[in-house]
Amino acid sequence: MAYFLQQTINGLTLGSIYGLIALGYTMVYGIVGMINFAHGEIYMIGAFVSLIAFAVLGLFGITWAPLAIVLVLLIAIVFTGAFGWAVERIAYRPLRGSFHLAPLISAIGMSIFLQNYVQLLQGARLRTLPALVSGGVTLFRENDFEVRISTIQIAIILLAGVLMAALTFLIEHTRLGRSQRACEQDMGMAGMIGINVDRTISLTFVIGAALAAGAGLMVTLYYGSVDFFIGFLAGVKAFTAAVLGGIGSIPGAMLGGILIGLVEAYWGGYVSGAYKDVSVFAVLILVLTVMPTGLLGKPHIQKV
Amino acid sequence: MTSRLLLASAAALALAAGAAQADVTLGVASPFTGQNSSFGEQIKRGAEAAAAAINAAGGINGEKLILDLQDDACDPKQAVAAANKIVSANDAAVIGHFCSSSSIPASDVYAEAGIPQISPASTNPKLTDRGLTSVFRTCGRDDQQSAVAAAAIVSRKLGTKIAIVDDKSAYGKGIADGVRSALAAKGIHEALDDTLTQGDKDFSALISRLKSANVDFVFYGGYFSEAGLLVRQAREQGLKAIFMGGDGIAATEFASIAGPASDGVLMTFYPDPRDNPAAAPVIQAFRDQKFEPEGYTLYSYAAVTAFAEAVKRAGTVEGAKVAAELHKGSYKTVLGTIAFDAKGDPDTDPFIVYVWKAGKYVPLK
Amino acid sequence: MASGPSLETPARDHKALRNAGLAALLTLVLSIPFIGIRLDDSQGSNGLAFRPQWVAGLVVVVFVARLVLDQTGGLAAWRPRFPTGLKRGLRLEPPVSTILIALVLGLAFAFPLAPFASRYEIGLATSFLIYVMLGWGLNIVVGLAGLLDLGYVAFYAAGAYTFGLLSTHFGIGFWLALPLSGLAAATLGMLLGFPVLRLRGDYLAIVTLGFGEIIRIILLNWSDLTGGPNGISGIGRPSFFGLPFAATAPNGGTTFSKLFGLPFSPLHRLAWLYYVILALALLTLAFTSRLRRLPIGRAWEALREDEIACQALGLNPTVIKLTAFSLGAMLGGLAGCFFAAKQGFISPESFTFSESAIILAIVVLGGMGNQLGVVIAAAVLVGLPELGRSFAEYRMLVFGMAMVLIMIWRPGGLISGRSPSIRADLSRFKATGPEVAP
Repeated sequence: MAYFLQQTINGLTLGSIYGLIALGYTMVYGIVGMINFAHGEIYMIGAFVSLIAFAVLGLFGITWAPLAIVLVLLIAIVFTGAFGWAVERIAYRPLRGSFHLAPLISAIGMSIFLQNYVQLLQGARLRTLPALVSGGVTLFRENDFEVRISTIQIAIILLAGVLMAALTFLIEHTRLGRSQRACEQDMGMAGMIGINVDRTISLTFVIGAALAAGAGLMVTLYYGSVDFFIGFLAGVKAFTAAVLGGIGSIPGAMLGGILIGLVEAYWGGYVSGAYKDVSVFAVLILVLTVMPTGLLGKPHIQKV
Repeated sequence: MTSRLLLASAAALALAAGAAQADVTLGVASPFTGQNSSFGEQIKRGAEAAAAAINAAGGINGEKLILDLQDDACDPKQAVAAANKIVSANDAAVIGHFCSSSSIPASDVYAEAGIPQISPASTNPKLTDRGLTSVFRTCGRDDQQSAVAAAAIVSRKLGTKIAIVDDKSAYGKGIADGVRSALAAKGIHEALDDTLTQGDKDFSALISRLKSANVDFVFYGGYFSEAGLLVRQAREQGLKAIFMGGDGIAATEFASIAGPASDGVLMTFYPDPRDNPAAAPVIQAFRDQKFEPEGYTLYSYAAVTAFAEAVKRAGTVEGAKVAAELHKGSYKTVLGTIAFDAKGDPDTDPFIVYVWKAGKYVPLK
Repeated sequence: MASGPSLETPARDHKALRNAGLAALLTLVLSIPFIGIRLDDSQGSNGLAFRPQWVAGLVVVVFVARLVLDQTGGLAAWRPRFPTGLKRGLRLEPPVSTILIALVLGLAFAFPLAPFASRYEIGLATSFLIYVMLGWGLNIVVGLAGLLDLGYVAFYAAGAYTFGLLSTHFGIGFWLALPLSGLAAATLGMLLGFPVLRLRGDYLAIVTLGFGEIIRIILLNWSDLTGGPNGISGIGRPSFFGLPFAATAPNGGTTFSKLFGLPFSPLHRLAWLYYVILALALLTLAFTSRLRRLPIGRAWEALREDEIACQALGLNPTVIKLTAFSLGAMLGGLAGCFFAAKQGFISPESFTFSESAIILAIVVLGGMGNQLGVVIAAAVLVGLPELGRSFAEYRMLVFGMAMVLIMIWRPGGLISGRSPSIRADLSRFKATGPEVAP
C-alpha cells in the first residue's frame, strides 16, 4: 500500500507536467484543427528561458526562492509566449485554409528548426541548475519503506492546479474565452459577428505557450537539467495525453496527462522500466479502440 | 563560440583552397549535430589542436596535415554516408567515430577501402573483435571496465543487495551486462535488474522500486545526464544506496546535475590523461583557449599524434602500410606511451576506481 | 499581411513605421533569450555571456526590412513565382513523357559508370533511391488512400530485421529474404491495421506514431532476438546471381570480378547495390501505377475524397483501407530488407520517429499522391543535408526552415494537383472536379 501510494505521488507529479503541455496541443487543435508538432519545442524553450532567467536574477542578487520562482514564471511566460506567437505567424497562418497535412509538415520543419536554433546558440551541452527548493515530507512509514513527497513535488502539483484553474476561468468567463469558443464552433461565423479571428488564434497559441512555459519552469526546478532535446519525448507523450483525453477537450487534456503519468509510474514501479513507453502507447491504442474519440472527446458526427 | 567556429571554418577553407596535392588529409568523423554533439566537439577540438601542433612543427614528412570534418550525428546511416565521403575524398585515415554504433558499420567501409580508422571513443569490444586489421582505438574497452568494477564491488564489499540498471544504449547495456556476468562468475547475483530510457528525466518510479527492494548498491551503465538525475532524485527520495558508474559519467556535468548528491558516487575511469605531466603544455594550450580538455579531447589528440608518427615511420600515407606500422612499436602521445595490440586495442593503463567528492573525482583509496 | 487600401501618403508612412516598429519589438523579445544571452557553463555553475550587439543588429535589420517590404508590396511580392505551366509540363503524358522517361532511365542506368561517380556519389544515389521507394510505398497509404501514417518506419524496420535475422541465423541470402521481408511487413501492417483503421484522421496518426515507437522499443529491449542496442551486424551482402563480390571467393569459387575478368574493386558491389535498388524502385513504380488503374486503386482515391459516399456505394472501407495499409507496409518492408543488405549492420537507432517524419515529408512535399513529386522531394530532402555537410552545424537548421518555407510557398507540394488517376470526360458538365490543393 505504501509503495502504491509512493508511485501514485510520482505519477501525479509527472502527469501534471504532461497535462500542462497537453493543454497547448488540445487548445490549438480545438480551434484550428491542426497538430502543433512544434509545441514540444516551445516547452523546451520555456525550460531554457527559465534557466536563463534564474541566472540573470542571480546576477541581481535575487535568490530568495519564492520570489525568484514567481519572477521567473512571469519572464518565461512573456518570452515563451512570444515564441508561440511567432511560430503561428510564420509557419501556420500562411497555411490556414490549405489542405490539412501542410501545417503538419510545416510544424515538423519548425520543430527541427527550433531544436537546432537553440543548440547552435546555447551549445549542445546539457545545462544545469542547482536545486533551489529542497526537502520534503515523510508522510508515513510502512515496515522499512517510507512514503515521501518532496516540497518541489507539492509545488508542481499546486502550480499545475493554479494554472489549470486560471485557464478554466479565462475560457469560461472572459471575452477572450468567449471569442475562442466561438471560433471553435465556426470560424467563418465568428468573423462575421465581429470577432477578430486572427487575433484569437494567435492568443490561443500564446496561452498554449504560456502553459508550456509553466511546465518548462517546473521541469527545470524539479530535475535541474535542461538540454535542447527534451522537447521531443515530452511533446510526444503530452500529445498522446491530449488524444487520450479527447483532443479538443480542455479537462480531457489534464485528465489524459495525469493518466499517462500514472500509467508510467505504475508500469515502471511494478513491471519494469524497459517497456515503460510501450505501456503508454498501449493504453492509448486500447482506449481509442474502445472509445474512438478519447475519454472526454465529443463524438464525431459527420453530416452529409 | 560561434564566431570562433566561423573563423575556424574560414581558416579551414583557406587551407583547403591553398592545399597542394601533397597535403595529407585526415578524416574526422563524429557527431557535430544532435544529442551527442558535445562529444563531437571534444573530438574535433582535440584533433584540431593536434593538427595545428604537427603543422607548426613542420607537418608530416614536410607535408601539411589538414582535417576533413564529417558529421555522423551518431546515426549509423549517416555514419556510412560520412565514411563513403571520406573514402571518396581519398583521405589518408580517419579519426572517429564517437558512438560504437556508428564506428562499427563505418569500419567495414574503411576496411574495404584499406584506410586506417582510429576511434578515440568507441569502447564497444565488437569494434576491434571482428578481425579487421585497419581498426584501432586509443580508448579502452567496455569489458576491461566491467571487470574492474566487478572486482571492486567484491573486494571492497560495497554492497550485499545489488541492483544493476542500464540505459539500453549499446555502451550502457554492454558495461552493465559485463558487470552482471563478472559478478555471476564470483557467485554474486543481483537483487534487481532494471533499465531506463535515454533522454528521460523522471526516474522516480524506478527509485521507489529500488527503495522498496532495499538495495544498498546500484551499478548504473549509461551516460552522465541520466546518471546525474538518477542520483539526485534518489537522494531526494531518501534512497541511501551507493551508486557506481562507468566512464560515461566522467564529465563535470554529472556533478552539476546531481549537486551535493554526487558525493560518494563511485566510477571506473582511466587514469586521468590530464594528470600526465608530459601532457601539461598541451593542456595549458587548451585552457588558454578557454576549453577544458576533458572527456575524449586528449584521446582524439593522441589518435592524431599516433597517426602522424606512423606515417612518418612508414614513409608513406598508403593505408595498409600505415596500419601495419601502427600495429608495430610504441607511440609517444599525450596519453603516455601507447602500443596497439594485434586487434588494434591500446595497452594504456587499466581502469581504476574513482570517487566523486565536491564536484571532482579522485582515485578511491 | 493584407495592405489596406492605399491611403494618402502620410498615413501610409505612419502605418509602415508602426508595423516596422512592432516587428522590431517582436524581434527584440524573440532574440533576447537565445541570441542575446548565452549560458556559459563555467565549472559547474551557470555563467552568462551577453551579446547585445547581435540583438541590436538583428532588430535594425528587421526594422529596415519591414519598411522596405511595406514600400514594395509586402511579402507576397517576394514569393518565388513558379510557372503555372510547370504542373502540366511535368505531367507524365505521352509523347513528351516517353522521351523524358527514356532519358531519365538512361541517365539512371549510366550513372554508376560515369567518371565522377565515386563511392560517395553512388552511396548517396542508393540512399536517395531507398527514400524514393519508401516515399512511393507511403504514398499508397497517405497520398492515395488518405490515411495519415506517422509510424511507417515500423514496417521499414520489420523488413530490415527480418532479413537481418534470416541472414545471421539461417544464412538465407538476400534474394530469398526479399519476398519474406515484404511478407513479414505486410502481415505486421495487417495486424496493426485491423483494430485501428476505423479511427479518423489525427487519431489514426497518433496511434500509428505510437505503434512505430512500440516496435522500436521492442527491438531495443528484446536483446535475445534482436541484439538490443547492439543491433545485428554481419548481414549478408547481395550476390550477383550467386557470385560474391570479394577479392577471393570463400570456397575457391568464382567471384564477380573473376568471371568478368575485371580487377577487383569494392565499387562493383556498390554499383550492383545501386542497380538492385533502382530495379526495386522501378518495380514499385510500375506496381503502384498499375494499382491506381485497378478497381482497388480507384476505391482508394474514392475513399480519400469521400468516405461516406463510398459506403453508400457499397464499398467496404475497412477492407480497402487494409489493402492500402498492408501494401504500403510491404513496400516499406522490401526497402528495409535492402537497407539491411546495404548497411550490413542495423540497430534500432536507424528506425526512429524522425525517419517516419522524413518519409512523410517526402510524400507531402512531393504533392500527395504524385509519383514524380516524390522523386523530386526525395532529392531535396536527401540532398539538402548532404550539400550542407561542409557547414555541418547549420545544415539541420536550414533543413527545418526549408521545410517550412516550401510548405508556405507551395502548400500543395512541389508538384501539386492530386488529380484522379482516371478522369471522366467532364467537359460537358462543369470544368473542374473537386480540386483540393492550393
